[in-house]
Amino acid sequence: MSVIVAASLTQRFGSEVGLDGVDLDVDAGEHLAVLGDNGAGKTTLLRILATAARPTSGRIEIFGLNATIERRRLRGVIGFVAHAPGLYPALSAAENLEFYCTLQGVDRGRVGEVLELVGLAELARRPADKLSRGAQQRLAIGRAVLHDPKLLVLDEPDASLDSGGADLLARVMRGRTAVIATHDHALANRLCQRTLVLRRGRVVGVPTRLRVVQ
Amino acid sequence: MARKDLTSEWRTRELVPALAQFVVLALVIANFGFQIDSRNAPAIAPGVLWMALVFAGLVAFGRAFAAEREQSSLEAMLMTPASPAAIFAGKALAAALLLVLCEAVLLPALALFFSVPLSFEVVSAVLLATVGMAVLGCLFAAMVARVRARELLLPLLTLPLWIPFIVFGGQAVQVAMGGGGGTGNASGLLIDLDILFVVLTSLAARFVLDD
Repeated sequence: MSVIVAASLTQRFGSEVGLDGVDLDVDAGEHLAVLGDNGAGKTTLLRILATAARPTSGRIEIFGLNATIERRRLRGVIGFVAHAPGLYPALSAAENLEFYCTLQGVDRGRVGEVLELVGLAELARRPADKLSRGAQQRLAIGRAVLHDPKLLVLDEPDASLDSGGADLLARVMRGRTAVIATHDHALANRLCQRTLVLRRGRVVGVPTRLRVVQ
Repeated sequence: MARKDLTSEWRTRELVPALAQFVVLALVIANFGFQIDSRNAPAIAPGVLWMALVFAGLVAFGRAFAAEREQSSLEAMLMTPASPAAIFAGKALAAALLLVLCEAVLLPALALFFSVPLSFEVVSAVLLATVGMAVLGCLFAAMVARVRARELLLPLLTLPLWIPFIVFGGQAVQVAMGGGGGTGNASGLLIDLDILFVVLTSLAARFVLDD
């Protein structure tokens, strides 16, 4: 069953084209890596998949719902990690997650589980602005899975993560459908079953099934 | 939402001390700039009060969404199922409470510098106006948060709709200070305006906060 079905997705920013006629389908439980140079349209595509942006034209359905109309409904089942962590610097790691528990309608007991999952249990009381960049990224990833989403959309989540980052991403992606944008082909090969390559807003070639290297 | 903003402000103390300092400075300058005596103080004090409040309000409400934009946290917040109206209400409540903290400094200082009475009527008029100014200020602050010229645009958009609050609030304060004039029901009009703009801004919040 396809979780994401997108046809002719186009995004224009004035006279500039961010995405140009992108077709996409992602099956349930599948992990898709979106690759491409800077400015290829990866972030634009992921923001549309996460319902953070509406395409200029084209059709996109997520879990069978029109993603340009049912955005609020879909946000309860989508977890999004954007470029910037978007944390509240004066609040601790735990307090940041507790705040989002309220927004997501999730029990606050989930905060401890998520901090354990992302390896920040010992830094729960540290203010977010006192966390390292890598720890902030881990916290942002934790925030994205706080509500146990069925679909994860991750925009270069490996940025600033240390060597354990790949294991962390594998843990959070397990059992979910995921679309991840990355420059790291080795990471894509490890975490994903398929790749999609973008160049200047267009899909290059066909989505490729990766060989799993044992 | 409000608790989050107030906690952040309590820990950073970025806004309230600066605003409190500003309003006291405004009073000091007005005290030296005007020839204040017991006859003209009730006429001048309300104007000075509202001038200080307007400028402090523009800063306080402008920061409400500018801070979220700088931290890249506004989008993360909107990416939840939480209602934009609820998010907006929380932001407006927090910004209003921060302005009330400044008013807690401003009003006693006004009474001290201008030797005017600080009565329940004065305080209630200021608080009533703060509600309406907060919802309007935060709505326009949310609208201009993504724009580069937001410091220029926010006063241009906000001040015209703040004028009724300044007019009726000024009348209510002037009457309470024994200055006379104005309508007898300025406070009632402030309540009506508060209800009107709280409802309108709550309805508009969804369209302003969501793309």
